Amino acid sequence: MPLVHLEGVSKIYRLGDQEFRALDGVNLTIDDGEFVSIIGPSGSGKSTLMHLLGCLDAPSEGRMEICGSDLSRASQNRLAEVRNREIGFVFQAFNLLPKLNVLQNIELPLVYAGVKAAERKRRSEEVAREVGLGDRFANRPVQLSGGQCQRVAIGRALVNNPRILFGDEPTGNLDSTTGEHILKMFRELNASGKTIVLVTHDPDIAAISRRVIEIRDGKIQREYAP
Amino acid sequence: MNLLVALQIGLREISSHKFRSFLSMLGIVLGVSSLIATLALTTGIERGTREFMQQMGGLEYVNVVNKEISNAQFEFWNLSPGRTLRDAQILRQSAPLISHISPELQFGASVASESQSDRKRVTGVFPDYFVVSRQQLAAGRFLTDLDVDRGLRTAVIGNSIATLLWPSVPPEAVLGRTILVNDRPFEVVGVLPKYEREQDKRRREVGGQKKPIGSSRRWDPFRSKNDAVLLPYSTMFYDFRAGAFPLDSLESVRLDNLTIRVGDLDHFPAALEQVRAALEITHRGVDDFDLDTREEWFGQMETSIRATRLSGGLIATISLIVGGIGIMNIMLASISERVREIGIRLAVGARGSDIFVQIIVESMSIALIGGILGVGAAFGLIEVLKAIAPSENVPVMTASAIVFSVGFAVIAGFLSGIYPAVRASRLNPISALRYE
Repeated sequence: MPLVHLEGVSKIYRLGDQEFRALDGVNLTIDDGEFVSIIGPSGSGKSTLMHLLGCLDAPSEGRMEICGSDLSRASQNRLAEVRNREIGFVFQAFNLLPKLNVLQNIELPLVYAGVKAAERKRRSEEVAREVGLGDRFANRPVQLSGGQCQRVAIGRALVNNPRILFGDEPTGNLDSTTGEHILKMFRELNASGKTIVLVTHDPDIAAISRRVIEIRDGKIQREYAP
Repeated sequence: MNLLVALQIGLREISSHKFRSFLSMLGIVLGVSSLIATLALTTGIERGTREFMQQMGGLEYVNVVNKEISNAQFEFWNLSPGRTLRDAQILRQSAPLISHISPELQFGASVASESQSDRKRVTGVFPDYFVVSRQQLAAGRFLTDLDVDRGLRTAVIGNSIATLLWPSVPPEAVLGRTILVNDRPFEVVGVLPKYEREQDKRRREVGGQKKPIGSSRRWDPFRSKNDAVLLPYSTMFYDFRAGAFPLDSLESVRLDNLTIRVGDLDHFPAALEQVRAALEITHRGVDDFDLDTREEWFGQMETSIRATRLSGGLIATISLIVGGIGIMNIMLASISERVREIGIRLAVGARGSDIFVQIIVESMSIALIGGILGVGAAFGLIEVLKAIAPSENVPVMTASAIVFSVGFAVIAGFLSGIYPAVRASRLNPISALRYE
């Protein structure tokens, strides 16, 4: 069963009477366990596509199914629920909450899933150890290096055991060695069965995935396996 | 998201901006403390006034007074016997809504002990007098039917009289002593307590300096109660009044005072009607009496208490609203600072309603903490008020006033949180995430 299924999906922004199609009739299917990269230059629509796939936004036209449910016309609350349970995000800028420590950042999705405090603590500690932050539970993001911050972000993305993990230029703010480590983590996660969608402008990074989708002017230009 | 988590987030946010949070609380602190202080002041005034009303005989107390006869009835003036004991008897029989009737005779006499003497007003009473005037006892007993029936030489005296005649003798020791009224001996069987106004009592307790009773230049409504020399009505008549006018009898002598007590305030107008109807007969239709009630007087007191409370409460409420606006201001600034945080929360699955709850709980927490600080400030404020105006009624801080004020502050926090919370909850996750 495909995890992601897009059929003729468009995202249209209107500025006055001008119409701008950020995405234009995209058809895309991603199966469970895949490792997909979406590449394209800035303004190509790859971020828009990721926002749709990540349920941060709803399509203007077309049909979108994520994890088996039709979200083409879903309400904000329904989208929030899918984001919470089925999707993990790793952003370029880490997007951690500066006032919270490592564990509190990691447990954030569990808070909105209504998990009890003791269980939140147990799971976030487990995940923190998995991403290699076993000795950093009480640190704040400012006390961590960029690579460690991104590990916290990965931990936060994984804590709800989502079916899809999105990376939006996850190595963009990191030096190349640290970036390598993070990408390695993504590969390992995929090897253990997690579906991963990586958005990047860098073909070298995209090359670690098994399927590359190239976007240009809101359309899928080509698809290839590196 | 449960409220506990929202509360944790809110408290963390408040404590991470302590000074800013304090500034936004300040309005609430001042509003709550002034509201509590106002309520305490009016409660104090209210208690003082009510106690005063009680000691003055309460609303049930009605005085039957003489009235100037109108010109139209002038020729008939001597048809009416005036207020006599017959009035009391007929009221007892035909005015069931009146529970107690107290006819009184009075005259000025020399009152003396072995060593002291003075001229005082002496009153002849029935046992009902003690109920109608709401007298209490410091020692001994009231006059009874037996005293009146047998014309015994017994007396109940007010506290001032006791201290005047026997300085520094406690009330219990005054019992059994002999008081000379115009040189006739009476046995003291009861002593009344010292009646005083709240503020006098407080001045005595706080200031320590004792002003001799009666020297106060201010009007003391309890002076006559404290100065009372009470004798059995019959003894009074036979010893001092019989023979002044040969035709006078116990029944027909004109009373100096006739006061009554209405049994049930719910039937107050009907009771007054019964009294009027009965007295119309004994006075043979001559309109020479009137019923003097405390309704209007007490009503005015109530009205002024209510007005004080309302205006004070209104001013305090305005400052609470200002405090609420302060919170709203800070919350708006705070959410525009936290757009990105909200975006992150939305991205990991927070719903708009979660964000709304978070902001509103934070706003209410600020108000609640401000309210609690305000309660503390109110204690200080009341101490200041006591120091500034010690002669006024004691401010009384009630639990309900505190709960009301803090609750009001929390409501103000809720209301002022709504707009910022709605704005925060409507943020679009994508643009919020991109916000720098």
